Amino acid sequence: MSASMLPSRSRTSVLVFLLPPLLLYGVAVLLPIVQSLFLSFFSWDGITDMTFVGLDNYAEMFSGDDVFWTSFFHSLGYVAICLFMQLGAALVVASLLLNLTRGRQLVKTLYLLPAVISTVAIALLFQRIYSSGSDGMLNRALSWVGLERFQQAWLSNVDTVLVAVSIPEGWRFSGLYMLIIYAALLAVPKELEEAARLDGANWWQLFTQIRFPHIRPVWATTTIMATTYALRGFDVPYLLTNGGPGQSSELLTTYMYKTAFTNTDYGYASAMSVFIVAECLIAVGLIVLLLRRKADA
Amino acid sequence: MKIHPMRSGAIAVLASAALMLSACGGSAGSDGSSDPSDVNPEGEIKAREISWLLSRPADGGVITAMEQIAGEYAEEHPGFELNLITTPDRPSYLQKYETLAAANRLPELFDTDATPFAQKLADQGRMMDVEELLTSLDLYDDYRPAALNYQRFDDGSLNMIPFEFQLEFFWYNKALFETAGVKIPETLEDFPAMCSDLRKAGITPIALDGQDQWPLERYMAYHPFRTAGPDYVQDLKAGDAALSDETGRAAVDWMHSLGEAECFQDGFSSTGYADAQALFTSGEAAVYNIGTWELSNLATESLDATVRDDIDYFTLPMTDAAATAANEYVTPSGIGMAVNSATFDPLVRDFLGYALERYPEVYAATGALSPTTTVDTTIPDNATPLYQRAVDQANDVGEAIAMPWDTQLDPASNTRLQQELTLLVQGEVTPDEFISTVDDSIVENAE
Repeated sequence: MSASMLPSRSRTSVLVFLLPPLLLYGVAVLLPIVQSLFLSFFSWDGITDMTFVGLDNYAEMFSGDDVFWTSFFHSLGYVAICLFMQLGAALVVASLLLNLTRGRQLVKTLYLLPAVISTVAIALLFQRIYSSGSDGMLNRALSWVGLERFQQAWLSNVDTVLVAVSIPEGWRFSGLYMLIIYAALLAVPKELEEAARLDGANWWQLFTQIRFPHIRPVWATTTIMATTYALRGFDVPYLLTNGGPGQSSELLTTYMYKTAFTNTDYGYASAMSVFIVAECLIAVGLIVLLLRRKADA
Repeated sequence: MKIHPMRSGAIAVLASAALMLSACGGSAGSDGSSDPSDVNPEGEIKAREISWLLSRPADGGVITAMEQIAGEYAEEHPGFELNLITTPDRPSYLQKYETLAAANRLPELFDTDATPFAQKLADQGRMMDVEELLTSLDLYDDYRPAALNYQRFDDGSLNMIPFEFQLEFFWYNKALFETAGVKIPETLEDFPAMCSDLRKAGITPIALDGQDQWPLERYMAYHPFRTAGPDYVQDLKAGDAALSDETGRAAVDWMHSLGEAECFQDGFSSTGYADAQALFTSGEAAVYNIGTWELSNLATESLDATVRDDIDYFTLPMTDAAATAANEYVTPSGIGMAVNSATFDPLVRDFLGYALERYPEVYAATGALSPTTTVDTTIPDNATPLYQRAVDQANDVGEAIAMPWDTQLDPASNTRLQQELTLLVQGEVTPDEFISTVDDSIVENAE
């Protein structure tokens, strides 16, 4: 409902209630972004004088820094894996859940559980799962099913580490997105589904012609949430491998953190954080554009 | 998860807060002396609370001793309190310390290694001249020269007070060595053969905490320390040496050979400190490189009975025509304590005078090695004979110290070197690639 439909007194109260969160948002989110933008034009180690360097940090980032690009592509891979688990797998589970007649609540709760476990606990858990020692659960499971040849040090192998650090993140929130999608699927009008069934629509047609178009707005929101969260992914990779071995699991965020707080190169780190903000905005724009075009088609 | 909006905001706020504070921070603590060499300021001793920002284990010997001493001092000086703010996790500590330094809000006392960052603080006159301070307190000559030298900057100046003295050994399991038929390596070049023989016997040669990076970087420092002496790393960062020269290449090739001989446990790069130690203390791995701060775990009855009598140690092996002596190796005095010159006053001086005089006795009673030569370490009741031997070894340490490279190189190059080193040992990059990446990084980040 729009504010113009409200009597003037409640318009005032809307403003009064909206102002504090807006102010908080401005101070906690917008202001730091502007300050990062400002800092990104300087070279500064925190203790000596700041030097204005113009666009040098950006030039270095785009043309002189191989680690930056490595991290950027790793971030994209990380996003892809998270989206696959948080949207793809979640959609499948939500659809299956619709057909479940008993124990639905239990399954939902079990799927949602990881979302409430602290990140550090999740990192420790997966450290044990991936361990190459005798306590490595994944390696032990492989040996139980006779796949010893696939056993390896998952977090030390440069070919597996990126996937290994992405999975905990994707797994963790897939339950949350599953729940949102499930709620949207429940809201699809039953009479439409029944009519389509009477017309002979199969399961796939039912999904693509009836259900998905109905959940598209929710799908867009969850896609935006999952994508921007994954683009800002930091703690699981940081805790599990700190970007290693080498830069094999370095994401833009972990690289930015190291640049700022290990290398005390605040200017360059700010340039990276500006890039991350821009990257998130572009991603949201693309998603909105893509889903809207599909809806129009 | 992810950095939530609030968290990424918080990081940015932190950085920008540091910026704003530094802009107006010139006046911080302006009531104190700010001349780093004015070690005996005039005035009355006014008891107040002072803080020490430190990075040491909360229940460790240093904190326990200093808490006791501060309590004694407070009895004579009502109103005095020593507020200890510890962040044992080093990366987290460095973040805190560097942000407070940027905001000009460092407390009276703070921990730092002799890093390039600390050098900048010293150059700005923000840390007291500790050599003069200790001399004026008549304590300077009590310290082991090696303990003080570890704290010095490249130009020889001293701005940090040591609170520990440690020796880093190669601990080894005699029974596993016997099983594999290997002997203690006489030179560093013997390492790859030792590893291969242990592997052939189905034994993990060396347990390594690869997750924290510094333990592997120690190995990188060993070869040049033997072949070229302690100054090599200083020459390296000053651009007077490069890994592409003879010394550097030999060191890189040696590291590569350790990797080829599979010296470290599978998956070492994601093994943490405790897990690496457990590999050794459970009798799975034959060698473990760690300092005397682990004596209570490696040389007392708290060590697993099945390996207790098999554990021994050797010191850093030599190379042919070594530039340093056999009794010279990594002998750090731990992270040092700097004294903030902006808040230095008669009270801080008086407290330090009291505390540093009392400290060696209290600290040595906990079974640790004092940075001074004035006291004997108390050997714990449950110690194995190895404990006494390790403690005695401290009296036979030479002057040159193999400095850990992570405190010497600029942080950006150091990060790159640590990352590439793991890849080199894992065989993911060749020695030539390693040399060119790290040399480029050092040149690029040189100021």
